[in-house]
Amino acid sequence: MEKRLTLVTAAALLAVIGLLPVLAMVTSSFYISGSFSLKAYQTLLASSQQYALLLGRGVLLSLLTSALATIVGVPLGVLIGKTDLPWRGAFAVLFTLPLLIPPYLIAVAWGTVVGKGGWISQAWPSATSDLLSAAFFGLPGCTGVLFTAFMPIVMLLTITYVGAVNPRWEEAGRLVSRWPNVLRRITLPLIAPAILFAAILVFLLAFGEVGVPTYLRYPVYPVEILTQFAAFYDFGAATAAAIPMLVITLAILTLEYRLLHNSILELKPVVPGAARSQIALGSWRFLLFGIVLGWALLTVLLPLAVLLIQSASPSAYGEALLRASDSIVRSLAFAVIGATALTLLGFCCGYLVHSRAPPLWRSVDALALFLFTLPGTVIGIGLISLWNTPMTNAVYGSPAILILGYLAQYTVLPMRITSATLERVPRSLEHAARLCGASWFMSLWYIVAPLAKRGLIAAWLISYVFCLRDLGISIVVYPPGSDTLPVRILTLMANGAPSLIAALCVILIVVTLLPLGVVSLWLRHGARQS
Amino acid sequence: MSMIEFRAVSKVYPGRLVIDALSLKIEAGERVVLFGPSGCGKSTVLHLIAGLVAPESGDILINDELVAAGGRNLCELEQRGIGMVFQDLALWPHMTVSENIEFGLRARKVPDKERKKRVRDVVDLVGLGDYLNVKPGELSGGQQQRVALARALALAPRIVLMDEPLSSLDEALNIQIRKEIRRLQGELGFTLVYVTHNRDEAKDLGTRTMHLRNGRIDSAFNMGHSS
Repeated sequence: MEKRLTLVTAAALLAVIGLLPVLAMVTSSFYISGSFSLKAYQTLLASSQQYALLLGRGVLLSLLTSALATIVGVPLGVLIGKTDLPWRGAFAVLFTLPLLIPPYLIAVAWGTVVGKGGWISQAWPSATSDLLSAAFFGLPGCTGVLFTAFMPIVMLLTITYVGAVNPRWEEAGRLVSRWPNVLRRITLPLIAPAILFAAILVFLLAFGEVGVPTYLRYPVYPVEILTQFAAFYDFGAATAAAIPMLVITLAILTLEYRLLHNSILELKPVVPGAARSQIALGSWRFLLFGIVLGWALLTVLLPLAVLLIQSASPSAYGEALLRASDSIVRSLAFAVIGATALTLLGFCCGYLVHSRAPPLWRSVDALALFLFTLPGTVIGIGLISLWNTPMTNAVYGSPAILILGYLAQYTVLPMRITSATLERVPRSLEHAARLCGASWFMSLWYIVAPLAKRGLIAAWLISYVFCLRDLGISIVVYPPGSDTLPVRILTLMANGAPSLIAALCVILIVVTLLPLGVVSLWLRHGARQS
Repeated sequence: MSMIEFRAVSKVYPGRLVIDALSLKIEAGERVVLFGPSGCGKSTVLHLIAGLVAPESGDILINDELVAAGGRNLCELEQRGIGMVFQDLALWPHMTVSENIEFGLRARKVPDKERKKRVRDVVDLVGLGDYLNVKPGELSGGQQQRVALARALALAPRIVLMDEPLSSLDEALNIQIRKEIRRLQGELGFTLVYVTHNRDEAKDLGTRTMHLRNGRIDSAFNMGHSS
């Protein structure tokens, strides 16, 4: 009974926190001052050409980003997950770093190199540097930055799913053919649904991105929604403008769910220690190593190095702390609270999905994924629609609104991690505890949680990182005087010195990655000792 | 009075009828072996008795008390007073032998002194006295079987369910553990429901054997020995 009640409550909580704001937003777009009105949509239609152009730009940007991420991410994932390439683990971590920081930090770093007055303009003739700068502050630059930021999604899913392919199927192929052919004819077709899912995920995340297009001055649809809301204070127009994004996201995800979802569920992530086939690269090993290393240096280490060099003065860090220490502390506090709440809710939802308990699990899984792919600005506007009333002002006017936003958008992350972790804990262990007389909570606390400890820690860390890097929701709903560090950096970008911005970016990267590093070392130490 | 009774119990897994209107009665102190090919529904019968799954239709009674009816379980599994040895043994790898056995006693809030005594008694019963502070991963297959048995017996259950617990053991060890199971059942008097697809185990362990096919009892016969 307690199990059923807890899981149903968690599902209901996700619906209330995530779905209700979206429904409230849709409803409120039809009302002005309490009466039914289509004025917001009339205004939207009156500017339909402009909106269509913005939407078209967003789709083009997302398509290019998704295509590039797939073209590079899949081979990289195969190389890291399936071959004997040297430093595979280090490369996997390195290429994942851009996913863990707000994407616009990468844009800031590249801006320092190729922007007007940047390093290249100081070294190269002005015609060449102007050309580069013009390209960077536009579609190519946006695509490049978002590709770097979201490519890890394709790479990580490829690594996961090439490991989930039954090695016997590949070995049967190897008896009659060479590895490239086996990969092309057996492995990749088997994981094609997962790759397509990753490409769709990248498309939707790029589609909802506001930070990079804002910084690189490439106007796209979500930026327009933000402008309507933040610059013109026109909530009705912002709400109506958010509806097409909601419809597009919903349509794409519905298509994905109908066509791909069951095929992906058939592939179970591999259990650690299980036998898996590995491709020996032979004479290609060091050439490919060089290419991957070069790519890592260019796309990951160079931007980080640029930020470090640009900020390398005590005065820059002094000023950064002076102007943003309150935001740093707030960001950390919100991220810790958000991650803890996310881990709890994600655990319950993940348990529900793992146990495939009908009829809720599919709805919970689909809803959580939908909310994750929904642009943060849309969720933010939904939260305002629901909570900005005299009765609920205590929530709306406090940081609780941010935590609700995090829960709405990021529950899918701890949920999927929990679900994957529980796959590795035999059900019989929990059943044995229940038969010994333990209640469900007791069996969770003493049996499931200790055995799923690493997964739960990973769920907390990933939640922490995503709460900390959030910009889409935070920029829309942060209460007065409670901005987070990513919001403060974006605000200061307009008139702050480049060294100050770079220092703040470095601080944000450090507070994001430091706990990750410390916990990884602690887990490794624990694993070695045991 | 029957210890376990099924009245026209059916169980469906997605797209497959696993148990088909099964009726059976198992008396207190019996050693019943459910025997049959893979997929015939014998493990599902154990799961239904334990309450790990609920039947689609039919009634299940334990000690004349209705525990499942109308398509749902009426009694939580931890309240059924059942011990179970799983096919994979399900020993908790992060706990020592002692902690594995104590867990159920702690859950039932048995006082510390009484708990220690019960653990010592049951460990002596299965011959594992020297391994109390060892984790299951450090034990041999036979020793792990004994821990699983000790854990199932620690709460002095009225019914013990065993789901092919010996399938991974070699022949000699299999025979030895079978002998111990018979001895323990004789000494403690619990009702044993044992699932296997091994004919020798069925012959050796059961006072009654039920042959299952397609979710129904195909044939049942008494083995004619009681210890």
